Amino acid sequence: MNYRPVIAVVQREVLKLFRQRSRLLSAMIRPLIWLLVIGAGFDAMLGRTGADSYKYFLVPGVIGMAMLFGAMLAALSTVYDKESGVMRMLVIAPFEHYWIVIAKVLGAAIAGIIQAVLLLVLLAILGYLGIEIRWGVLLLALVMTALACASLGILTAAWTPTLDNYAVIMNLVIFPVFFLSGSLYPVAQLPDVLRTIATVNPYTYAVDLLKHANLSMTGPGFTPDFSVTTDVAVLGAFVLVATVVACLRFSQESRYSVLIHVLARKGGD
Amino acid sequence: MMRDAPDFAKYLAVHSDGLTKRYGETLAVDRLDLDIPTGEFFGLLGPNGSGKTTTLHMLSTLVRPTSGQAIVAGYDIGRRGVKVRGAIGVVFQDSALDRTLSVWENLRFAGMLAGLSRSVIRERASELLDLFGLHDQFDQPVGSLSGGMRRAVDIARGVIHRPQILFLDEPTIGLDLPNRKKIWRFIERLRAQTGMTVLLTTHYLEEAADCNRVAFIRKGRIVKSGAPQVLIDGLGNHVIEIEGDKLDGIVNELKGPLGDPILEEDRASFRFSGSPAELAALQASLSPRVTGVKVRRPNLNDVFLWVTGTDAISRRPGERGVRAAR
Repeated sequence: MNYRPVIAVVQREVLKLFRQRSRLLSAMIRPLIWLLVIGAGFDAMLGRTGADSYKYFLVPGVIGMAMLFGAMLAALSTVYDKESGVMRMLVIAPFEHYWIVIAKVLGAAIAGIIQAVLLLVLLAILGYLGIEIRWGVLLLALVMTALACASLGILTAAWTPTLDNYAVIMNLVIFPVFFLSGSLYPVAQLPDVLRTIATVNPYTYAVDLLKHANLSMTGPGFTPDFSVTTDVAVLGAFVLVATVVACLRFSQESRYSVLIHVLARKGGD
Repeated sequence: MMRDAPDFAKYLAVHSDGLTKRYGETLAVDRLDLDIPTGEFFGLLGPNGSGKTTTLHMLSTLVRPTSGQAIVAGYDIGRRGVKVRGAIGVVFQDSALDRTLSVWENLRFAGMLAGLSRSVIRERASELLDLFGLHDQFDQPVGSLSGGMRRAVDIARGVIHRPQILFLDEPTIGLDLPNRKKIWRFIERLRAQTGMTVLLTTHYLEEAADCNRVAFIRKGRIVKSGAPQVLIDGLGNHVIEIEGDKLDGIVNELKGPLGDPILEEDRASFRFSGSPAELAALQASLSPRVTGVKVRRPNLNDVFLWVTGTDAISRRPGERGVRAAR
């Protein structure tokens, strides 16, 4: 396998990210709303200020959010590629079809990381970042989180025939994954049922890893729930399993998708 | 199971043996035997739904045959899909281009997927766009191009890696006449320049007249094949179209000497192979009895009409498709 096809897919993903300005803009605004509006609102309600305040707690969560939305949507563009016909270029290319999945995961992860880094820059300008950031852990957290979100996206895409189901995906995949993680509250303080769900949600470990990076000045109540090793192990296992399952599903499906697509639209031949 | 046969590719670009595709109850392609010599311009002709596209998708490894085998460019389509895909170029019925990217970005994407380096892609892209007269569109988004230009770019996309064999699935569908002619000129130029084998499907039969050989496919089976001119000549010198209200008598009268006609509502078409004098005599005798008599040269459309029209009458159950060999 030549490395060029993978670069081609990644390059196209990045190109499209910067070309769709509105997508990039909303990717920055969504986390900022959580931070500036909801964070500030809760702080006012709880009467908290300074290093202990809720908005600082939210920082790792919103960085994760940028990647959850960014990488997932990029991976879901695979469905759009099928609909628009670009997938034909990929399935007719001279490599095994599982490479399409691997390349898409990498492209989506890189798109996610770019968005997270842009958001980090914005947060630094706004004064939300502390001075004791653990850069190594941050890098690890960005890569693992982006890969996990991208592979979750490709797994969803493999079972999504058309983007008409977009709202369904939002409501059934993205929102539950986000809300049932440690993004908005420490997992340890959740009620039993929710804590159990959060514990099996791989995204919980992504946010936890981001908390380890010490992005903002963490107060006493804001310590991570799991160890770095646990986080990386869970995320790594999830990425592997999700990608392999998507590859299997895809190499079955791609043999038929082109034709089925033509049949559905032309009603024959 | 068929073996790979790289030496084979020197002589035969495509060889299929009993290639069959079944979708549930529907038999899309029925025991298709095909031999396409290397360098040939081959046309697979037939109406919509006859199995042309399914055949093309099987030969390009995108659809797995229900039974039967095929060797494309010397490689078994079932076991050596990657090798086959490396040797072929495919232009699909619907565009494979990304409309949001520019012409160059699309060609670069396709070229890189084929493993080419940026400089090679750049060189070939500019060569191809020159050939197609599209150099000024290099940086334009594909979405802003006309339908004809888009199809030309899609063809350039399909040959950027210089395939040995090019599969063209209805390359001119949905285009107006001037653009269809343009696309044909591009394909001609490409063939002249590269000598690649071209397998074309179309239902505009008159467009296949330049093929070295054509095969008519109907309900997944090849019903007739040969060089277009040979097939046309075999039909007769002329086609006589007779128009009128009560044609039954005339049809029964002419059926014997001229063979089965093609019947439409108020028109009957006969094949005619006699001398010009005989033709004039027949025309004179028919004129007073009908509203119109038209005499014209036969074309590939007629070949297909007579093949499928009479085929429906004379076909026996269990009869095997005609082998499309030279």
